[in-house]
Amino acid sequence: MSGSLHDVKNDVWMRAVIVSVIFLFVGGAAYGAFAVGVGSVKKTDWDAADEVLVEAKTNWNLLNETEAGGTSEEIADLNQQKEDARIAYDEAKEAEIDAHLSYLTWITAGKTLLVMMIIYAAFYGISGFYNSIQPEEEHDDHHGDDHEEHHGSASPIMMAAGLMLFMIGFPGFVNTCKSLLGLDYQAEMGDFGLSIVGAAITIIGIGNWWNEDLKGQHEQIASSEPFQGQDIRKAGMWVFLISETMVFASFFSSYLRMRTGWCTEWAVDAGKCEVVDTITASDLLRHEVGTLLPGAINTFALIISSYTIVLALKVAKDTEWKPSENALMAKMFPTRKKAVRNYLIITLALGSMFIVLKLVEWSHLIAEGFTIDTQAGSIFYVATGAHGLHVFIGLLVMLFMVFKADVLEDGYNEQNGQGIEYFGLYWHFVDLAWVAIFPAFYLY
Amino acid sequence: MGEHKYTGPIAGIFQKMADIIGKDVYYVNFLILMFFTLFEVAAVFFETIPGTDIKITRTAVWGVLIVVGIIKGYGIAAFFMHLKGDPFIYTRTALFPIIFAALMLWGIGLSNPSGIDELPSWCTPNWDYSYVTE
Repeated sequence: MSGSLHDVKNDVWMRAVIVSVIFLFVGGAAYGAFAVGVGSVKKTDWDAADEVLVEAKTNWNLLNETEAGGTSEEIADLNQQKEDARIAYDEAKEAEIDAHLSYLTWITAGKTLLVMMIIYAAFYGISGFYNSIQPEEEHDDHHGDDHEEHHGSASPIMMAAGLMLFMIGFPGFVNTCKSLLGLDYQAEMGDFGLSIVGAAITIIGIGNWWNEDLKGQHEQIASSEPFQGQDIRKAGMWVFLISETMVFASFFSSYLRMRTGWCTEWAVDAGKCEVVDTITASDLLRHEVGTLLPGAINTFALIISSYTIVLALKVAKDTEWKPSENALMAKMFPTRKKAVRNYLIITLALGSMFIVLKLVEWSHLIAEGFTIDTQAGSIFYVATGAHGLHVFIGLLVMLFMVFKADVLEDGYNEQNGQGIEYFGLYWHFVDLAWVAIFPAFYLY
Repeated sequence: MGEHKYTGPIAGIFQKMADIIGKDVYYVNFLILMFFTLFEVAAVFFETIPGTDIKITRTAVWGVLIVVGIIKGYGIAAFFMHLKGDPFIYTRTALFPIIFAALMLWGIGLSNPSGIDELPSWCTPNWDYSYVTE
């Protein structure tokens, strides 16, 4: 039997409430710095670039309407002026686009970080408060019995019910949010309330689940074929990943079917057709370092995060772990418990960066007219969005793992390290899906 | 963790590289993943092989993307997901959906009747679409 039980008091969850306040502060600071601070400077630059553009366009139009005098010198002079005005307009247009994209980068990064931190804070704050006010359970000492009956958990059912309510009210929730942001939408407070209640029930269900996991469990072992002798949670995770493979396979087969019918820039280059009829995301992204960079950085971020989660598992399982002789590494990873926790925090930070860069990249594509209401746009946003959602769900799980690594006396160790291993399977799968999505949607 | 000695034609190469540089297989796998990611980005980004006039054709880029994808997929599944070293039932479980995914890619992905790529007959199911016009 593997797994372990921990004597954890419920008031330890107050730490989660405190961390939730820190998340709110970080989110507010990031929003202030990126969206309000740098964003307003970039907005001023954009407005200035826009004024230059309008001026250049007016000048060019005026020259185009001007009749040249009779002499050939005057005609040549006017043509030269028109050419100069056209060049000035092109340059102004390029500068305006750059200024707009630069503004979008900062404003999107600030807003994304704020929303992510609010969600992180909601999970830590609500779960922490809910768990901290629970009455302490009386422990019995029969947990050493391998044949102990598993008590089951109502938390997944609670979470699912909450999600159902959230989704029922979701369309109205979105419209109400847009209305609250000052956009021209009708607020639907009933649906908004339903979604909020659903989200709260979901978070409490997950929080309850976290509390049960924090106190530990005995690993159940499969007693029949084909997984006989294996940890049930691990087998379950693999079966779950099978279903995930099919979800992404459906995206890829849809994409491939559509893609083989499009005359893209790539197909023209390959001599398959002559006139481009479809612009893909990769046509807009792959030609310049600046546009390809967010996707490329995200690819490296996911690979590094896969490595850091493997390192967290390796350290947790290593009973003879010692701090590095390198001073910086020894400072970052001073004890086994802190090493595991800090590797998980690095993974969390890399995953969060992935989401921010993805939304920045989306904002640029939308600004360039590559929207979800085109065929190429719909499959791109649905496939990469579904992947991003998987990353975000992974980050929410990782929030708990960081908390667990911090509050347990020994953190993750050789007894309870399976939690990292099973979560790692999910995280590596997300990385694996990106290994296919990145070349298919960004490079091809 | 990580102390397991990997054997086999491909995993053995990873293990040998790990032994040479004195690190574990996870580290070698991490470096290989980083290198091949750079390689695939470069293959798309450059129109000719840097320093030469040799044009990188679209077919060559296709080949690079697919081969690199397979290498990276193997590295993640075999070492990071521990399929190498875990009981074989997990590898069988992981491979199980591949059959269905391949069927979907073939039966749906490569079956566009108006495909401009003029798919060769061996790689498209060539469904009979007569019902569409009936």
